[in-house]
Amino acid sequence: MDKVRFSAEINGEQVDLLIPQNLRLIDLLRDYLHLTGTKEGCGEGECGACTVIIDGEPVNSCLIFALQARDKKILTIEGMGSLEQLHPLQTAFLDYGAVQCGFCTPGMLLAAKALLDKNPNPSREEIKTAISGNLCRCTGYSKIVDAIESLTGKEVNSK
Amino acid sequence: MKKAVGVSARRVEGLGKVTGMIKFPADYYEPGMLYGKTLRTKIASGRIISIDTSKAEALPGVRKVVTAKDVPGHNGHGVLFPDAPVLADSRIRSVNDAIALVAADTEEIAAEALELIKVEYEELPGVFDPREAMQEDAPKVWEKGNILYHLPIRKGDVEKGFAEADVIVENTYSTQMVDHAFLQPEAALCTIDERGHLVLRVATQYVHWDRVEVARALGLSVNQVRIICTAVGGAFGGREDMTVQIHCALLTWLTKKPVKMIYDRHESFHAHSKRHPMYMEYKTGAKKDGRLTAVEARIIGDSGAYASWAPNILRKAAVHATGPYQVPNVKVDSYAVFTNNPFTGAMRGFGAAQPPIAYEAQMDLLAEKLGLHPFTIRWRNAFEEGSVTATGQVLETSVGLKESLLAAAKAFGWDVEQLV
Repeated sequence: MDKVRFSAEINGEQVDLLIPQNLRLIDLLRDYLHLTGTKEGCGEGECGACTVIIDGEPVNSCLIFALQARDKKILTIEGMGSLEQLHPLQTAFLDYGAVQCGFCTPGMLLAAKALLDKNPNPSREEIKTAISGNLCRCTGYSKIVDAIESLTGKEVNSK
Repeated sequence: MKKAVGVSARRVEGLGKVTGMIKFPADYYEPGMLYGKTLRTKIASGRIISIDTSKAEALPGVRKVVTAKDVPGHNGHGVLFPDAPVLADSRIRSVNDAIALVAADTEEIAAEALELIKVEYEELPGVFDPREAMQEDAPKVWEKGNILYHLPIRKGDVEKGFAEADVIVENTYSTQMVDHAFLQPEAALCTIDERGHLVLRVATQYVHWDRVEVARALGLSVNQVRIICTAVGGAFGGREDMTVQIHCALLTWLTKKPVKMIYDRHESFHAHSKRHPMYMEYKTGAKKDGRLTAVEARIIGDSGAYASWAPNILRKAAVHATGPYQVPNVKVDSYAVFTNNPFTGAMRGFGAAQPPIAYEAQMDLLAEKLGLHPFTIRWRNAFEEGSVTATGQVLETSVGLKESLLAAAKAFGWDVEQLV
């Protein structure tokens, strides 16, 4: 298959490379750029572990071709915060025990970030709706919702 | 002196998890690595007449095609009995069975190669219900017979106990097969180090046993195999048996190249264990005041085609069969039975999760028949310090059941004085 040019801004850096036309975005991120924080749990858009933010919207990167994200702004978990400077959501997830096996965590964090960027003061129901496309099999939803809610200025008591 | 108890501590590996830095097995890459894939059976019971791998081997980019004849050591694995084939050689016993492995330059080529392997089967009658599998004339999953395990528990005299009962309730309960569906599908990356030893990165619950299994199947000694447990994306019991480990190690050993294997969700369902479905026939007797006089139970667990942990799980089911209640007369028979279903193994509770469906429903039905509150019948039979269990264990300490019952009743807003 002929390769085509792909360019986009990924985590604030301009990326430019040749890729097969049928390459999924998740495979570009993982296999070409080794941004392995983006996880594949199902390959069919059910689990949300591969969630990334494209131009402000949370997207399942297993469901789109890389070319559909051409010339857009892509944020993966690697661009959300650094060890020196965690994003407040990352800190909240740690402090509220919202992390268990960690496989859903990157997608969960990005879904939450996309919500708070648009709506800094969501209700608990709105938080649940925003992460409804992200599965956690360690039965950790309550603490995840608590962690997100803690950033809305409300009193959350499960820390 | 830093306080540890009573403070809210962050997970030690939490930072790696919130930043995406921590590595699960699929997150590792090695220069020059090959991709491995598994050909699995399409049938649940039968024989392999022939396997033709020539077309797959001729496909450009394919480095190795492996079948049962290429397994250097013992062609079997299992936590209690090594009865599950690494690669099926003739008899197919369940849809778990793997038939061939391919290592290729890319995942796409490996997938294409699987399509080119020609397998001829002869289908044989299978048995898919453990109660049917117990019959004399049932198709045999194993020549030695389908009943893998039987545990009888006897205490007192149930005939006498039922004779004393004012009310008796008899029912059969069943639970279903459940998949753990941990979020991270199985994956592994295997390399050979400078000593010529195998190094396998895998998410596992049983790292030292994985080493034994891999070494045994490859005909190596355990010091030639190193298992590195990566971050584990959920497990819940489903990573206690072999899935990718031996296959990935075998391809690496035979090609002398790094090999990566990643299951998709579909293959993950095919490859790992399930929760045991159980059929639970219960007969429970009680006096007018709710005190239990006898419990008779027959529990039949579906082990699928391989043993995995079934004896231990059906033992646990038997031990928990009477619940947290004092029962003077007990007769329990617990069986683990082979069928041609997917194999079952460890899953959260390990056999203790199924019987409560039965014994608690029995308590509610007895309460209804006797006109007692569901709390009252439980209170009158609850374990306390000094109680003797169905297996003769004397509970000497830490019996918090009645305290918990009271706390729950208060939380429901019930008038406890009226109920005890």
